[in-house]
Formats: sequence, C-alpha cells, structure tokens
Amino acid sequence: MMETLFATRSTFGRPLRLSEKLWRINWPLLLTASLLAGIGTATLYSVSGGSFQPWAERHTLRFLIMLGIVVAMALVRLDVWMRLAYPAYLVALLMLALVPFIGSEALGAKRWIDAGPISFQPSELMKLALVAALARFYFQVLPEKVGKPLFILLPLLIIGVPVFLTMQQPDLGSAALFVALGLSLMFLAGVPLRYFALGGLLALASLPVIWSGMHDYQKRRVEVFLNPGMDPLGAGYHITQSKIALGAGGVAGKGFMQGTQSQLDFVPEKHTDFIASIIGEEWGFTGMLFLIAVYGLLILMMMLMAQRCENHFARLAIAGSAMTFFLYVFINLAMITGLVPVVGIPLPLVSYGGTSMTTLMIGLGVAMSAYVHGRNGRG
Amino acid sequence: MTDVLDGDERGRGDQFTRRSLLLGGVQAAGLGLVGWRVFDLQVIGARRYGPLAEDNRINLQVLAPKRGRIFDAYGRLLADNEQVFRVMITPGLAKNPSGVLRRVSRIVPLSDDEIAKIVARARKQGRYVPTTIASDLSFEQVAQLNLFAPSLPGIATDFALRRRYHDGPALSHVVGYVGSVERFAINDDAVARLPEMRIGKGGAELGFDGELRGTGGIQKVEVDARGRIIRNLETVEPVGGRDVTLTVDSELQRLVSDRMQREGRAAAVMLDIATGGIVVMASVPGFDAGAIAGGIAGADWQKLVQSEDKPLLNRAIAGQYAPGSAFMVVTALAGLDAGVLSQGERIQCDGHYAYRGEVYRCSKHDGHGSLSVHEAIRSSCEVFFCEVASRLGITRIAAAARAMGLGGTSNVGLGEEKAGLVPDPDWKRGNLNASWLGGETLLTGLGQGYMQATPLQLAVMAARIASGRAVVPVVGKRAGAPEFQRLPFGVESFDAIRKGMAAVVNDENGSANEAKLGAGKPMVAGKSGGSKVFAGFEPAEAPRYAIATVIERGGDGNATAALLARDILNLAVDRAGPAHGDIPPGGGVVPATNYGEKAG
Repeated sequence: MMETLFATRSTFGRPLRLSEKLWRINWPLLLTASLLAGIGTATLYSVSGGSFQPWAERHTLRFLIMLGIVVAMALVRLDVWMRLAYPAYLVALLMLALVPFIGSEALGAKRWIDAGPISFQPSELMKLALVAALARFYFQVLPEKVGKPLFILLPLLIIGVPVFLTMQQPDLGSAALFVALGLSLMFLAGVPLRYFALGGLLALASLPVIWSGMHDYQKRRVEVFLNPGMDPLGAGYHITQSKIALGAGGVAGKGFMQGTQSQLDFVPEKHTDFIASIIGEEWGFTGMLFLIAVYGLLILMMMLMAQRCENHFARLAIAGSAMTFFLYVFINLAMITGLVPVVGIPLPLVSYGGTSMTTLMIGLGVAMSAYVHGRNGRG
Repeated sequence: MTDVLDGDERGRGDQFTRRSLLLGGVQAAGLGLVGWRVFDLQVIGARRYGPLAEDNRINLQVLAPKRGRIFDAYGRLLADNEQVFRVMITPGLAKNPSGVLRRVSRIVPLSDDEIAKIVARARKQGRYVPTTIASDLSFEQVAQLNLFAPSLPGIATDFALRRRYHDGPALSHVVGYVGSVERFAINDDAVARLPEMRIGKGGAELGFDGELRGTGGIQKVEVDARGRIIRNLETVEPVGGRDVTLTVDSELQRLVSDRMQREGRAAAVMLDIATGGIVVMASVPGFDAGAIAGGIAGADWQKLVQSEDKPLLNRAIAGQYAPGSAFMVVTALAGLDAGVLSQGERIQCDGHYAYRGEVYRCSKHDGHGSLSVHEAIRSSCEVFFCEVASRLGITRIAAAARAMGLGGTSNVGLGEEKAGLVPDPDWKRGNLNASWLGGETLLTGLGQGYMQATPLQLAVMAARIASGRAVVPVVGKRAGAPEFQRLPFGVESFDAIRKGMAAVVNDENGSANEAKLGAGKPMVAGKSGGSKVFAGFEPAEAPRYAIATVIERGGDGNATAALLARDILNLAVDRAGPAHGDIPPGGGVVPATNYGEKAG
C-alpha cells in the first residue's frame, strides 16, 4: 500500500554526487536572500544611531550562520525531510499545546517556551512543520482522491488544530498565517475550487462568531485599525507613527541615518516589526519600491524553482516556503502602512530577531534540498 | 508502473503549474497592493506627513521673560523679582522616585503624603519632564542637595523668579499685585501657558502689564519619543519687561497711609496739578501685595475677597460717592460762565427753596440771608445753588460736570477705575426708563441725587478748577510736563470760584475751616461735601497740588474729610522733602490770584 501511494520512486532513484548537489543549489536565490539580510544590517546599523551594536552585528552573524545551515540542508537527501515532516508537525503541535502550561508570558500573551539558553516560539516551528506536513500529506494522496471529502477534512484538521491552539495564546497573527499558508497549499495541491468558494462563504458567515471569541485587546486592535484616530497615543500610536515616518520619507527619503522618526524613537519596534517604516523614512518611496522588488524577485525565483521539480513533496515544500515569505512580507508591509491591524509579523530577513530568521532560513533550506533532489536528474 | 506514475506526476505537475500561476498572481497583486499603499503614503501623502514628523521631533519651550521693575517718582524700588530656589525630580532619571524623594525629605521636609502626591503628579507627564518638588528653598538646602547629588539621581535644583514688593500694604493698591494667568486668557499667548508665568492683577501691575511683562523667549529643542531633550536647535532669549516709574511719592504715601489707618473706610488722592501725576493715592483698609505674591493661603485670600470692608478695592478710583456740596463750585462756575449769575448778584436764603410745589431745605434752617456767590460758596448755601441750578438747567450743569472730569474714566493705568455718574435726562431715560424731574436738576446742582464721583475724579475736579485747564491724571511718570488744554470757562469765573474756595477754608465763618493748615503754612482752598467729602488745592495763591478725600465710614465721630485733607497736606508740607522741592517749573500754569483782600 505504501509503495503505491509513494509516487516518487523515480526521483529518489539515483543518488547525487556532492559536486552535482552543489551545482544544483540555486545560488542566485541565496544571493537575493543575502541582499535582504544586508538591507537589514544597514537599517539596524542606522536605527542604533550608527552602531553595529546591539543589533546589526548579531543580525549579520545570525544570517551567515543560517546561510551555512541552508547550504548544509540543501545537501541532505529530500526523503530525510519527508520523513521528518509528520514527527516535526506532531512535536510542534505538542509544544503549542504545552505553551499555556510551560510557556513564559510576554506582553500579555504566552507564546514562548524557554529551553535553557534558547527560547523559541512553537508557532514558528509550526510554520515550517505545517508546510512540511501538508506537502507530505498531498505527496501521498493520489490525484483522483484530492477532491474527496475525507481528503479535504484531513488537511483542514492539520491546519485547524494549530490555528485553534495559537488563537488560545493568543497569537492572531500566526493563526491567520497558518490559515493562509494551509489554504494556499491545499489550493496548489489541487483541491477543487468549489471547496474554496464554499469555504469563503462559511468564513464570512462565521465572522461574528470569531469577533465574539476574540480577546478584548484583539478587538481593540481591530477597532483602532479601522479608526486609528480613535486612540492616537495608545493602540493607534504604532500605525500613526509608522505612517508619519513613511510620509516624511517622501520619494527620495531623508537619507541614511537621517530619519528623525527612528533616530528619536518615535516609531516603536523600529528594529523588529516596524523596520520597514525606517527604510521608508530614510530611503523614501524609491527604497521601498526596491525592497518590494527584491522580495518579489525572491518569491518569483522560488515559485519557478517549484515548477522545475517533479517531486510533488518537493514542489509543495518550495511553494510553501515561497508562500511563507510572501505572507510575511505582505502582512508586515500591510501592517506598517495601516492596511491591516498590528500583528507581530516581522519583515523576513530584514527585521532583527532570531526566531523568524531561523524559521525562514530553515524553510529555505528544505526548499533548497527539495530543489536539489526533487528534479529527475535534469539539472 | 513507472509510466503511469510518471503520467500521474505530469498530470499533477500541470495542475500545480496552473495553480502556481494563479497563486503567483495573488502574490503579485498582494505586493502590488502594498506597493500602491506605500506610494499613496510616501508620494501622495508626503506633504501631509512630513510636517507631522517635524512636530514630533521639535518641541518649542517657552522661556519666561523677566518682569519689569516698578519705581516711585524718586527712583525708590517698589517691586522687583527675587530668585527662589526650587528642587525638582525627573522621574526618568530616578530609578525609584519615592525612594529618592524620601532621601530628599531629610534635607527638604516632605511628608509621605506629599511624596505620594509628587510621584502621582510626575507619573502623569513624560518620564523626562521635571516635576517641582518644593520651591522657596534656603541656600543651605540647595547646597546640601547639590552635595548629596550623587546619591539623589534625577534630582536637580534651579531657581525661578518671584515678584517681591518693597513697600508693604501702603502701596499695595497703587502698585497692585500679580497672579497666575486665568485659564480663559491662556490661549492668546504661549508665554501665558507657563505655570510660573504671572500677570498683573491689580494696580500698576495690571495697568502697565503690557510694559512690565516683556516678551517670552523660545527654545527649540529636539526631543525623542519620551520627551527627553536630545539637543538645542535654537534659542531666542526672552526680552525682559520694561521698568515702570510711577508718579507717586512712596514715602509720603506711607505717611498718609499710616494716618488713614484711623479711618474705617476712606480714600485720598493728591495730584500734581502741573503734570497730572498722582502723588498720593491711598485707600483703607488695605492689603499686603507682598503676601499675595509669596503665595497666599486659600483661606486668607477668601477672607480678603469676602470681607465687607473690601480691602482689595482701591476706593480712590473704584469707590463712587455722592460729591454733595463739593460740587457746588462747579454749579457756580457754570452759572457765572453762562451769565445766569453775576459776581455782584445777591440771592436771598430764607432757609428753604420752593420749586414746583416742593420745598428744599437749606442746611442752615433759619436761612443765610442775602448772599453773593462768594458768600454762598463759603457758607455752602443750598438755597443759593438751587436757584442757580434752576436757572442753568440740567444740560449746562451736566456739561460743566463733565468738563471738570466727572462722569468718565481717565485711564490712569491702575485697572479697575470707575466712571462715576453725571446724570441727565438721556441717562435717566436710558437706564431708569423714566423722564427727568425738575427737582432732580436742583439735586444734581447740589451734587446729590444720582450724581456719583470717585475720589480721583474729585481731585481732578479740584485740579481743573485750580488751573483752569483740563488736567488729566496719570500714575506712570511722563517725560516732560504736558500742556493741558484750557477749559472753556472764563478766567474771571474761575478766579471767583477759587476765591470762594479759599474763603471756605480760611475765613472765620468758612464752612470747612478745619482744613486750614497751621500758622506760616501755605493757604489751602477747597470745598467740602458734608463731613465726608473734601476737594481742594494748595497753595491757594498758586496751586501745585489738588487733593480729594472721602470718608466712607469714619474711625471716630469727629472724622471729617476736611480734617483728613488737612493732615495729608500737613504731612506733605512738613516733609518739605523732594515732593515739594522737585516740582518742575510747570507749577506756574495757574495765574496767581490775589487773596490779600477778603471778599465779602
């Protein structure tokens, strides 16, 4: 039974030599990622008033280490990652479930687990594991069965359980990200479009239920988002100051290290979630356009990578990783420009912070391994 | 098997590619959306948001100007500013504000309650905005605070300026006092928003507030989001207010004030006729402006405000009284000048005056007999002036009253000045909605009825009669002597009135001869209104000073306004100080009148 379900025998047929693997790595993609990390380093240098401390240096170091890990991961056989998919998902799920009991609280929400020297957010691990588990699931499902109700319900469960758990923390941003990520993978895997239409209607109908289930501070964020003037010094402060920073940047920007909004601490979380406001203030619309273009290029390259793979797990994993990048970038930029409420989503590879960097780079590593091994010898 | 699988793979691959294209489209649209949003904010919204960033960054701090000083006519300092040391705490610099405050309390006593209040107050503002802990520290306390500065993080001392008055209660009405800016007045001036800003609330402090206040400076500082000052961008130093020199003689004023403590409620004004300068202006009971500036307790302030004696009221300019018989001189002047009365004419007083069915009684019930205008003034004969008033009619009486400075303010620069009242038919119709009665003309001619005048107006009236010119009173010293306009009354008419007023004081049977100064002293001329009002001038031959006194409620039964005027003039003459010595040559405006021969 297992053999018949495994539709990828051929792709694992011939072991690749190390030089072949290195040759197959998408180096331009890693270069693009490095460019983004470089933008991050420069901006972090600027927001600390022209110093590599406390953020720029660590950010660079972290990226370089993760870059090495990505290359190392790319050399690991794809079936290793495939076998890890379900266990990783289960571990992530278990940790998410444990957060309310062993997690440490920060800013009124329990999201972190402290494990000695490292603390991490299980929801971050889940972002990787969800993509892997869904890719693994659809890899196994025969095409004619994708549309069967049972095979709709199972991936919905795979998505739904972590969504439910993260909403308890509460971490609305991650929950939304899981939903978007999971649904786009289901879409790519070929789930019939009628289910999406039905799902859309159901979602609309359930909005009032979601609203009543939200925490007060979440409701407040949504309200403030809908009307930022309501609370310009409280919850609306982030958005207002971020908009001021962007607007003050204009077309050309105020120049490197010249942004008063960041240098004088008006923009909150300027080194993490709101780093793009600083880029916008100092480099202007020109800089923002460039930034968006680099992300667009990165995502495009990954989506193209996915097309070149025959292995279904490989292409779903790559596209899932691309989608993760896209969602991060989209939600973050939409947040700092006031299009969506403030949720804790950083700007990939630019924002300071180990957790998101690790998640995204490991995702990139799996994608790269998929790209290296997922093609049938045609390189 | 392999082919099937490959086929499957290809089928899935094709679908995957189609769906990838769709998803790619969504991704492109998403990035396009944020791109458009960024364009909207940065390119279209640039003009709106740019200034907001500047507003964020730049904080304008207003620097309070130093208030100008106030001097008396002889350069004696009446009001200036003193430095008071303050201690403040910047919560953002003190790790544990209440702990630091407890340590401070060993040097500057603070109760636990006060500490809690200061911490609560500090919490309401920015962490880097200093909050005042206490002011009026001694130098020793400041020295100690600075000595222990290393163990008192966030504590700083500085000084503020506080108004200081040098002459105590005697000059409080004239110099006035300062107070915090009222909420409603704050909007028009950024300087007024400063908590330490004080503005004039009474007296010269109010009247000359524009000169004294000065112009606030501005310090443009760059601040961060917590309000911490990063650097100074620009400083425009405040411009201190101008010093103001008053016309009052503060020493004489103090002597007069001491003399007047005997009276319950009274006021006196002495004018320099040549310049219009107010030499003395006293009002009892008084108050201590110094105590108000030093921060008066709420209960004490309430007592001042609510007291029936109204000590805050400057009766000299804001007390309004019926001038009574003192006004007869104006009626006489108008009568002579209008030709309804001649100096030689005699009118019979039988003790009563019948007018349209009503009878007006003279103060001398059995009548004065036949009187000339000179004698009528000297004896203060009501019947005589009833007749003159009836001949004149209200219009001419009112016009003469106004020409003498009654019924209007002269804006001397002390604020609360009242206009008094010169009644006429128009006024009565407008305010009482009633027509003028003939009898009211007689009352007005006698300075009774509706007529009201302030002591300052009475002094001006005396000064105008004494000089024949439209003397305008001032309290702020003018450069050079002003040339007052001649009043539209004949010189002979004035002369006759002045002679009559001299007789009032100096003749054996004068109606106010208690105002006469001692032997060898200058001759006084004047006219009383009952026992409560006196207006006059001295010396009678060549008037230099005009005086008006009003006793609203005497301290003892014998108190008369004429006696008070005599005492004040005696003080002025006895001092023979600069008040008399420094008279500018303008004193000779009035043609000398020969008083050697007694009229009669």
